[in-house]
Amino acid sequence: MTPFKRKLVACAIGLGMALGAGVALASKDRFVVDLVNEPSSLDPHVQWNPDSYAVYRNVFDNLITRNNKGEITAQIATSWKQVSDTVVEFQIRTDVLFHDGQKLTAEDVAYSVRRITDPKFGSPQLGQFDKIVKAEVVGPNAVRLTTNGPYPALLAQLVKLSIVPKAVVEAVGKDAFNLKPVGSGPYMFQAWQRGVQVTLVRNDKYWGTKGPFPTAVFRAVPDAATRVANLQAGASDLAVTLNSDLAAPLKNSPKVKVLAEPTERVAYVRLNTTRPPFDNDKIRQAVALAIDKAGLVDGILGGFDKPVGQMLTAAHAGWTPDLPTVPFDLKKAQALVKEAGPAAKVEIELATSPVFDQRIVQAIQQMLVEAGLNVKINMSDMASYLKRAQGGPDVVPALSFGRWSCACLDADGVLFPLLHKSSAWSAYRNPKADQLLDAARQTLDGKKRIEAYRGVNLLVNQDIPLVPLYQSAAIYGAARGLDWQPTPDESLFLNRMTFKD
Amino acid sequence: MQTFLLRRLGQVAVTLFGVVSLIFFLQRLTGDPTYLLVPETATQADIDAMRHTLGFDRPLFVQYLSFLVQIAGFDLGQSVVQNVPVSTIIASRLPYTLQLAAGALVVACGLGIPVGIVLALYRKSAAARVLAALVFAAQSMPTFWSGILLIMLFAVTLGWLPPSSIGGVANLVMPSIALGLLSMATFARITRTAILDELTREYVRSARARGATTGRLLVRHLARNASIPVITVAAIEISNLLAGAVIVETVFAWPGLGQVTVQSILARDFMVVQGVVLMGAFVTIALNLLADLLYSAVDPRIRLDGVRR
Repeated sequence: MTPFKRKLVACAIGLGMALGAGVALASKDRFVVDLVNEPSSLDPHVQWNPDSYAVYRNVFDNLITRNNKGEITAQIATSWKQVSDTVVEFQIRTDVLFHDGQKLTAEDVAYSVRRITDPKFGSPQLGQFDKIVKAEVVGPNAVRLTTNGPYPALLAQLVKLSIVPKAVVEAVGKDAFNLKPVGSGPYMFQAWQRGVQVTLVRNDKYWGTKGPFPTAVFRAVPDAATRVANLQAGASDLAVTLNSDLAAPLKNSPKVKVLAEPTERVAYVRLNTTRPPFDNDKIRQAVALAIDKAGLVDGILGGFDKPVGQMLTAAHAGWTPDLPTVPFDLKKAQALVKEAGPAAKVEIELATSPVFDQRIVQAIQQMLVEAGLNVKINMSDMASYLKRAQGGPDVVPALSFGRWSCACLDADGVLFPLLHKSSAWSAYRNPKADQLLDAARQTLDGKKRIEAYRGVNLLVNQDIPLVPLYQSAAIYGAARGLDWQPTPDESLFLNRMTFKD
Repeated sequence: MQTFLLRRLGQVAVTLFGVVSLIFFLQRLTGDPTYLLVPETATQADIDAMRHTLGFDRPLFVQYLSFLVQIAGFDLGQSVVQNVPVSTIIASRLPYTLQLAAGALVVACGLGIPVGIVLALYRKSAAARVLAALVFAAQSMPTFWSGILLIMLFAVTLGWLPPSSIGGVANLVMPSIALGLLSMATFARITRTAILDELTREYVRSARARGATTGRLLVRHLARNASIPVITVAAIEISNLLAGAVIVETVFAWPGLGQVTVQSILARDFMVVQGVVLMGAFVTIALNLLADLLYSAVDPRIRLDGVRR
C-alpha cells in the first residue's frame, strides 16, 4: 500500500466512523423489537391489533393468561369457580401493585370489565366481551362475572382482559390514559415517540417473573426487508412478520435465527352456498377437491405453514383430532364440473384484498381453472372486502379467500360466526349446523362441545360451505442469543424471554 | 401587488374549500372504518353500536356540516383509530417530513443543477453522454429497490450508516439519496433544456463576442435567465417531497407524513386523511405563490399580473 492509498483508506475509515457514530447498537440492556406499525393505542380497552397487543400486554396484566403450552392459567385471578351456568367467581391476587404504587383490587377488576363492556365506551373489543352482563365485587378479593346465558368461551376471551387502575383512569380520562398508560405488568410505560417507537422500562417490583431487559423498545418498521436488514446490522433483536422468502437466507446467518410457530390463523376459501353456482353440490365438491393444499404450503409458502382439514387447529378448544378430510383429486373435480354442465360455466368471482398473500390467491384461481371452472380474481381494499364479507348471503362474493382468527383459540369464535345463520359472516343455511353450533355454545360440558363441533366439522367437509386450507405460521427473525418460544396466539411477552450473549 | 395578493388569497380560500369537500366525499364513497376496527367475532349489533359511537350513522350531510364547522374553528378532529387529535399526529410527523424533504432537495438540486449545466454546456462530449446515462439510471431505479440496495451495502455490509429509522444526521443520508435521486434527474433535465434554450439567444452571442468566458457567461447571464423554469419545477418538486414519500419512508422506517397518510387511507381514518390533505393543499398553494413572487424577483420584466413588460 502506498502512503497515499493508506491515507485514503484512513480517510474512508474516519468518514465511516463519523457517520456511524449515530448508529445505535442494540445491547441487551436495551432490547429492540421491530414491529410492522406503531401501536394504534396503548389503552388496552381500545385497539387490539397485533402491534398494539405486542406492546401493551407487557404493560398490563390480564385477568387470566395462557402459558406457552396454550393452557389457561392464573394471572391476576388465582382461581375461579363456576357458581352457576351463568356466573363465575374469581379470586384476585392480593400482592399486585400498579406502576403508580397503588394496590390492584377486586374493584379494579370489576371496573375493567364494566369499562370494556359499556357500549357508550365504544371499545372495538366489545364483540369479545359482550356476553358479560354484570361484573360485581362480592368479597374483599372476589369478583363475580355474570353472562347472558351459559358461555363456554368466557375464559378463552378473558385471557385478553387487561386490568386497568380505576382511580387513574377516572382521574385522567380516556385520552390521557391512552397517552400515558399505567398498568401492573412486568414493564412500565416510559415514552412514545409517535411514528417511531414506544419505550418501556422494567418494573422491578413486579409480583411475577420479572423481565430480562432493563429497557425494551418497540419500533415501527413497515418494510419486512428493512426489518431483516436491521437484524443483520445488529440494530434490532427481534422482528415480527417475516415471510418465507426473507426467512430462508437467514438460516445461514451467523447473527440471526428464524423462529416460526403455527398460529391460530387458518386460511380458507369461503363459498356462498345460497346463490349460483355454489348452490350446486357438485360444483362445491369440485372446489374442495381441486385445491392442492400441500402444494400451496410447500410450493409457495416455503413449508412453514401446515395444511389443515378443518377450520380449527390443535391449539383450539373444540378441535376434532381424527377428522376424515377431503383429499386433493383433480380428476374427480374435473369430472364433477363436467357433470354439473352449464351451471359450472358461469364466471365465478374470487374476492380478495391486498393484505392477503396474492401468490396463494392466484394459485387457487389456477387450480380451479384447471378443474374447469371460470374463476376471476376481484381485489378490493380491506374495508370494502370486509363490508361485503359481512353483508349477508345476497352480497357475499361467490368465492372469497381469507384468514380467520378469533384471537380466542376456541371453536365458538371460528365456526359460529362463519356458519351460523344469525352471523353477518355466514353465507350458509343449514338448520343442522345451526343446531349443533347452538348446542355447543349453550353447554359448559367440554365433551359435549367437542362432539358438537365434530358434527360441524364433518358437515363442513361434506357440504363445503368452506374449504379450510392451511394453518398460517408466524415467522420471526431474532438475534442468535434470544431464547423465546412463540405461541399460537402470537403473544409477545418479554418476561418469557431470556438472552445469552 | 396588493390586488394580486388579495386575488390570490380569494383563490386560496376557494381551492381549500374545494379540496376539503372533495376529500370528505371521496373517502366516504367506500364506507367507513367500523369493519376494520371490530374483531371478526363481532355481531351486527356490535358493529352498529360502534358505528353509532363514531358518528358514522349520521346522515352524510350532517357529518359534512359538522366537519365544516370543525374546520372553520381550526380543529382537525380526532383519529378514530389512534384516539389522538389529528393535529398531534401531523405535528409529530411534520418535522421528519421536512428533514427528509430538505435532505432530498439538497441531493436533487446539489447534483441535478450542476449536472444539467454540464450536460448543456458540454453536450457533445463523451463525458456528458456517460453522465446522461447515469441520470437515466438514477431515474429508472425504483426506490424500494435502490433503498434496500443502499441499506444492504452501507448498513449491513459496511456498517457505516444506521439501516433505518431516525436518530442523527447519519440516519438521514440514505433516505435523502434514495428520494433525491429521482428529483435529481428532473432538475438535471430541466436545467439542461433551459440553458440550451438561452444559449441560442442573441445576447449570448454578443457576450461571447465581447470575450466573456463560459464561467462569466454562466454566472452573469445564463443562470439567472434559465432559472425561471427551474423555479417552477422546484415548487412542484418541493410540494411533492412535502406531500410525503411513501415508499422511501416505508423502506427506511422514516416516520414522515406519507407513511401515516397511506396507513390512514387503508384504515379509513377519515379525519387524519382530511387533515393531511388539507395541509398538503395549503403547502402546495403557498409554494406556488412563493414561486410567482420569485419569478418577478429573478426577472423584473415579469409583473405579478402575469404580463411581460
